[in-house]
Amino acid sequence: MSSLFHILFRRLRSPLIVLVAVYSISILGFVLIPGVDDQGAPWDMSFFHAFYFVSFMATTIGFGEIPYAFTDTQRFWALITMYATVVAWLYCIGMLLSIFQDAVFRQQLRINSFRRRVGNIREPFYIVCGYGDTGTQLTRSLTNEHILCVVIDIDENRITELEGDDFKSPVFALCADASQSEYLEMAGVTHRWCQGMVTLANDDTVNLTVAIVAQLLNPDLRLIARAETPEAEANILSFGANEVINPFETFASRLALAIRSPSLYCLYDWMTGITHQVMKEPPDLEPGLWIISGFGRFGNSLYEHLDDEDVELRVIESDRSIRDLPAGTVIGRATEAATLRKAGIKEAVGIIAGTNVDANNLSILMTAFEENPDLFRVARQNEDKNAHLFEAAHLNMVMQRGSVISNTIFALIKTPLLGDFLRIVSRFKNDRANELVSSIIGVVENDIPELWELSINAEQTPALHKVLQNQQLLVSDILYGIKTVEEGSTNYQKKSLPLFLRRGDGNVILPEGNRFIKEGDRYLMCGSTAARDCMIHSLKNINLLEYILTGEDKPTGWVLRKLWERRHNKYNSKINVVDDLMIEESQSDNDLDNENTDKNIADKADNQLLDEKKQLENQKKKHPEDYLPVKDINKED
Amino acid sequence: MNSEKVIFAFFIVLALTLNFGFFLGGMDNASHHNIYELYAALVVSLISTILKVGDRTHLGAVFLATSLVADLQLIAAAVVWGYTEHVSGTSLNGETLSIVVSLSGGALLANIISVILLVSETITVRR
Repeated sequence: MSSLFHILFRRLRSPLIVLVAVYSISILGFVLIPGVDDQGAPWDMSFFHAFYFVSFMATTIGFGEIPYAFTDTQRFWALITMYATVVAWLYCIGMLLSIFQDAVFRQQLRINSFRRRVGNIREPFYIVCGYGDTGTQLTRSLTNEHILCVVIDIDENRITELEGDDFKSPVFALCADASQSEYLEMAGVTHRWCQGMVTLANDDTVNLTVAIVAQLLNPDLRLIARAETPEAEANILSFGANEVINPFETFASRLALAIRSPSLYCLYDWMTGITHQVMKEPPDLEPGLWIISGFGRFGNSLYEHLDDEDVELRVIESDRSIRDLPAGTVIGRATEAATLRKAGIKEAVGIIAGTNVDANNLSILMTAFEENPDLFRVARQNEDKNAHLFEAAHLNMVMQRGSVISNTIFALIKTPLLGDFLRIVSRFKNDRANELVSSIIGVVENDIPELWELSINAEQTPALHKVLQNQQLLVSDILYGIKTVEEGSTNYQKKSLPLFLRRGDGNVILPEGNRFIKEGDRYLMCGSTAARDCMIHSLKNINLLEYILTGEDKPTGWVLRKLWERRHNKYNSKINVVDDLMIEESQSDNDLDNENTDKNIADKADNQLLDEKKQLENQKKKHPEDYLPVKDINKED
Repeated sequence: MNSEKVIFAFFIVLALTLNFGFFLGGMDNASHHNIYELYAALVVSLISTILKVGDRTHLGAVFLATSLVADLQLIAAAVVWGYTEHVSGTSLNGETLSIVVSLSGGALLANIISVILLVSETITVRR
């Protein structure tokens, strides 16, 4: 505010001095010039009357010659001063208007209002640096979930574009250089409600600077950064960023995944996709020759990923000067049929058009279709605005760079555990991946699947927290849905599936049913929307939770509850017996799932009840690779 | 020599001298206090305020504050004078004049502080 005030007054200084000078001279003139009253007697204007007259004259209100008609000398002076004062006012107002149109001043105004609005935020929000294709889509997805966003971009056109867009929740935008700490602080990096920051600039150095500055300002901030080179990726990760997304790498690995393990590809697509869509059928891909056209950064990482999967590959590249072209590369334009034929289009099973020009990609795929209609055609879509063109081309798969990245980031924001889960799952072999997918489909059936995160603590799950104080609960008691036991067989309603458990530093994929739920656990859950709502509600409402657990409807009031508890005081001991039985039953299963189990958890938490002999056996069976620290990957799979 | 500095110092000192000139004399003696002198003191004080606004330094802020105090005191004095003459209908007597003079005395004090600041700033700037 102070700087606005300073700019304003610095510029208004000379107009204001002119105004004061003109006023004071005019007033003095009227006081000194002798006049007459209505009787013709000599009368001198006082300062009071003179100020009154000059005030209404200068502002062109003009009440007339007050209090007595003027003499000619007074009129002569009035004639001079009325022009002088009006000119002085015009000078003042003109200067004021020009200040308000001044770019610096307007930027300052915008900064001030931005700072004020961000400062007043009282709900969780995210900061998005960079409002390109990816940033736009990410902001849209976040606001659709009613998550508040603060956007910074250095390009004024993009900010203007943003201001014209409609969002479901407010988006505060500022046109500024995000790598300056001042602006980042303004955007709320140190704000109490700031949940995290996503930096999506096209330039790696900008992302790096933003990440460093943000990290220095607020070391606890959750940071998701984009980096185009592996060096920058490692650099940003080295000082504590939570996630780094390499667009080419993400994009290429996703495509490689589709070819290697279609079911995992579907899982990825669904988990990181925008909600409200049923899981798609996995694409059916045959082994054989794949043609990659374009060997830029994208083509390069695609080649590496597919080569790792032992896919037979051939590259078409028009630029002969590119280094490290793989053996057997066809030099020429992929848009021409002759080049495609040379690359073996007739025998190929698939073609990936991966140049950075959308028109070329479309043309390549059209030509390829004429040569070989059975081809599996994959296109890289560079620009958001060409979406309908790619749709019209009826391709087998379109990878839209912006949306692949923005969806991934969005999923990471919504369910922070997802990143680690997907990283571990991506190394699964096909069989195990299929198993995982089918178990998810088994839970979700034909409903629209949802992902959500459960943190077992007093704030988010107060009811469960309270229950856990008195008794121990198993994963199968609560997290599989509403349990009903009929004639010895257990059924679940509103089914859900815990996909992933984070306990301390340990990770568990698909936590087993016989695992104890502990305070501080974080679960990544999957199920239908109804199941999610039911679970979240029941873990907050103690009455509902107790009803689900015991099947008994306890009274809600304090007096009635005390009476009820007195009558049922044997209840607790009964429950404990049941629990022990279940644990004994499930001990034999424990070994089967150890493959997924983290050492820490297995050791510290769950095996308390196992006898020592079994514990020793477990230790032997476990491979060291299975005990994952957070960011490691299960290499055996 | 910086002409801007000259103008700045000129108005600040002039505000003090005019104010002092008006203040000088018996508290309730109307012949010792000229209305034109009060008018001039007020106008010069306003101009010096405008000159001081827009300085981001700490000293500038204190300059502005003292000047605003002087303005306020002088405007109050002028309003008291104008009100007794024109609204309450009584001519200026010793009682109201002493109010006007004491108000201008307050403004004088503020103006003195302003000049002290100016002088100390000038002394600290070594060339």
